[in-house]
Amino acid sequence: MTGDIERYLAVGAALFVLGAIGFFTRRNLIVMVLSAELMLHGVSLTLVTFGRVHNSFEGQAFTIFILTVAACEAGLGLSLVLALFQKSKTLDIDFWTELREPDLPSPRVREEAEHRTPFELPQPAYPKLTPAGRVPDLEHERDPRLVDSARSQTAETPLQPPVVKEVIKSVSH
Amino acid sequence: MHGFEDHWQGVAALVLMGAGVWWMMPRRVEWPKIIGLILALVGAFLLASRIRAAEGPIGETILFSVFATAAITCAILMITSRNPVYSALWFALVTLSVCGLFWLQYAQFLAAATVIVYAGAIVVTFVFVIMLAQQSGATIYDQRSRQPLLATVAAFLLLGALLGTLRSSTSDDFHVAAQQSQAVSANLMSRPAESSRIDANTVNGLGRSLFGDYLFAVELAGTILLIATIGAIAIAPRRSRGTL
Repeated sequence: MTGDIERYLAVGAALFVLGAIGFFTRRNLIVMVLSAELMLHGVSLTLVTFGRVHNSFEGQAFTIFILTVAACEAGLGLSLVLALFQKSKTLDIDFWTELREPDLPSPRVREEAEHRTPFELPQPAYPKLTPAGRVPDLEHERDPRLVDSARSQTAETPLQPPVVKEVIKSVSH
Repeated sequence: MHGFEDHWQGVAALVLMGAGVWWMMPRRVEWPKIIGLILALVGAFLLASRIRAAEGPIGETILFSVFATAAITCAILMITSRNPVYSALWFALVTLSVCGLFWLQYAQFLAAATVIVYAGAIVVTFVFVIMLAQQSGATIYDQRSRQPLLATVAAFLLLGALLGTLRSSTSDDFHVAAQQSQAVSANLMSRPAESSRIDANTVNGLGRSLFGDYLFAVELAGTILLIATIGAIAIAPRRSRGTL
């Protein structure tokens, strides 16, 4: 029975520690909240295991309360994250280091000149599909029910921009 | 006490696992993640081999191994993935694995509730917030990590201390606790004499414990949920106030 107990405790400790690493190192607000939830998982597992050791339901009852508090925490934390994002347009936790005590040094790690705006990662090469089948005639077979009233006043404008039409024509020929 | 000679294997396994996690951290030049994952998993298996073997049925051991490996692998991938959406999805997998571990410990209701609340509600909320707050393209703060070496060393020192304590515990520690399990309940509703066996009638006993011993706490938890809902609605930005 003992090894049975210890291995569950070891997994709980590992989950807690991994969540702590994520909380310390990541700079995205959302990922930090997720890491805190991972630490809660580790604690829940430990509580359930100790409840089984003591042969009582208190561990499971505590875990249900942890579940409740985690749900509240996720809701409140994510609404805070949304409000902060609307103010700063970034999820970087370093942006909010101005909230520290005035006599403390900045915890921000100076790296190379960081670009604040998002950039594009190199995309993976997606496979090119050969066109197959009939090209749908989108202009003439339009269902009138799909066209809303505002658009039906200017019914002559096609649903798709002309660039797409040209692409479709060039593919079909 | 034991000398360092008895512990060098554990220290080596800890260092291996920590090096794997540190390898996978987001940094300027991306290193191949699979090497770090293999290092971390080898370290984890070496650590697991030092824990005393269980004497249970083989099926439970296999299931435990599967769920524990999945939980730790997905947790490592969650904290090191560069895309927050992938982090949320790995977290859902961690939740499912932990629910499997709950199930193995006769906590069926808890497993179901955790799947519903975490994988069904919390992860979906996270994904929605990522959708609302994520900028298009990659951001610099997801491609860098803050103090990865210090954080990994500190956290794995903590893990080493925890596992060392676990290893130095004798089997009597847990058996004595099991002997003293005839806890006197504060409330007659919970009837601990009937529900003292935890592997039978789990939902029954858990319900009696929740609505007997912890009745006021359950009411309080409901109130906290209500307050959190009101708070989330009040905090969240909205268009009419110009905060969206």
